Amino acid sequence: MRTSKVLVGLGKSAAVGAILIWSLFPIAFIIMSAFKPGQDIFAVPPRFVFTPTLQHYGKLWSEWGMFFDGLFNSAIVTVGATVLAITTSTSAGYVYSRNSSRFLDASVLFLIVVRLIPPIVVTLPLFPIVNAIGLNDTHVVLIVLYATFFVSLGTVLMRTFIDQIPRELDEAAQIDGATRLTTLRRIIVPLAAPGILAVAVFVVVFAWNEFLFAFIFTATNAKTAPLVISEMIGSIDGVDWGVLFAASTIQLIPVLLFVILMNRHLVAGLTAGATKG
Amino acid sequence: MRSKTKNIGQVVPFLAPVQILILSVIVVPSLYVVWLSLNASTFGQSPTFVGFDNYTRTLTDPAFLHALGNTVLIVVFAVHIELVLGMAMALLFAGGLPFRRILLVAVLAPYAVSEVIAVAMWRFLFDPDVGPVTITLSSLGLPVLDWSFEPSHALIMVGLLTIWLHLPFTFIILYAARLAIPKDLYEAARIDGATAYDAFRRVTMPLLGPAIVIALLFRYIFAFRIFSEVWLMTQGGPARSTEVVAVYLYQEAFRFNAFGTAAATAWIMVVASLVLAAGYVFLLRKQVVGNAH
Repeated sequence: MRTSKVLVGLGKSAAVGAILIWSLFPIAFIIMSAFKPGQDIFAVPPRFVFTPTLQHYGKLWSEWGMFFDGLFNSAIVTVGATVLAITTSTSAGYVYSRNSSRFLDASVLFLIVVRLIPPIVVTLPLFPIVNAIGLNDTHVVLIVLYATFFVSLGTVLMRTFIDQIPRELDEAAQIDGATRLTTLRRIIVPLAAPGILAVAVFVVVFAWNEFLFAFIFTATNAKTAPLVISEMIGSIDGVDWGVLFAASTIQLIPVLLFVILMNRHLVAGLTAGATKG
Repeated sequence: MRSKTKNIGQVVPFLAPVQILILSVIVVPSLYVVWLSLNASTFGQSPTFVGFDNYTRTLTDPAFLHALGNTVLIVVFAVHIELVLGMAMALLFAGGLPFRRILLVAVLAPYAVSEVIAVAMWRFLFDPDVGPVTITLSSLGLPVLDWSFEPSHALIMVGLLTIWLHLPFTFIILYAARLAIPKDLYEAARIDGATAYDAFRRVTMPLLGPAIVIALLFRYIFAFRIFSEVWLMTQGGPARSTEVVAVYLYQEAFRFNAFGTAAATAWIMVVASLVLAAGYVFLLRKQVVGNAH
């Protein structure tokens, strides 16, 4: 009995160890390598003790200045897409939560179905249109695209979260003469904060990391950080791994911290997003 | 309960932003793609109606069929391994672990990583000359992944990368569903003399059924549109051997300017996704009805 308990304990520890290595080793490897001097990056087995250096960051600054423009563009696009997605989905989610009619129910189903259309499909017609109206290579086009591909999930999520707020609260406000908009702003938004944060995690992670739309719709002015990193990977005269890891670390750290801080909201959003509709 | 709304006009301003975005960016363009797919056209040329010609051409193009085969391979390989791993991890976590919250956050970490950086790390780890994984494998006398030359190895790399990026999603869906199973059921099974395996087969599996199907359908639909991982890893090469459907579409449209076949490919993707989605919506409905009883 006791030995079998020990065995189970050992098995569990081994499984946990394997999970940790699988999930964290590649991330830790990149972040550590970004601070390793020259040849230490290539040491096998990987060196865990080394004199940290900022040489790769210096080289990144002097040779890939556009990476920092890319970061700036990524930040603008991420903030813009998040604000747009949250405001629009909160107001729609509020209506879907509090009202019902055949038309409304049908349009929720429509939202769910639209979410399943692959994004690459719309690039075909949008590419010439975006060019024609001069929006190619601007922040606006990415903000609108990123927000749009999340408003359907956002709306469904907001409806689920707003459903949990007692109706009596907004009814009381409306008896006191508050309009729908005031009720939404003063009562619903503060109480629906967990839902708003869940939607924010999705949009921030997506917009900060997205590659396909940025690849197709930007060239120089609005080029985002992932696109610059992809150019480092594809660089013709061989990859400078140290610089690539330095750039990757800078791009990764903020979003990684964000996901860690928001992990509860992410879990709540993932489960509600997949199982409620 | 939601109240019946008679005056739709009052709520339209609240719905309009979302619906306008979706209609103008997704729905109308997608419908325009249908029209494109029925015409022969290239960038800057006036189109001519050709009926289903583009569909026949796409479906008989060996490059498309090859890309479709690769996509199906990646989807089947990656999604099912994700499911098995995610399930094992969900059961491990539900069985009780010390520092569970910290471990959960560790498992979620890959969710934050962009495809671009994931490709960078995997390309380095498996680099044929300097990659630590390659060097370790070959020093142990094990076979290495020669992904830059051998198409099947490149697909394995893409599959592994996909699993790494999306395991957090599959795991969370299954873990949440597992936590939702009432403890009493396991208690009752134990009192009735059921072994751990019996409890798994008779309690866990049937009750996790819907969550498993939902996780699978979501991952089928999202894995089917895979683009960035493949594009950044191999650009579909060598000699178009590792293309997937989305990469084929991109090449047709933006490299060969064949908007007709690209549009046909796009609609084949939409239809495939919607067929899977129909299954999903059907299950959601059933679940809603099930909850009402």
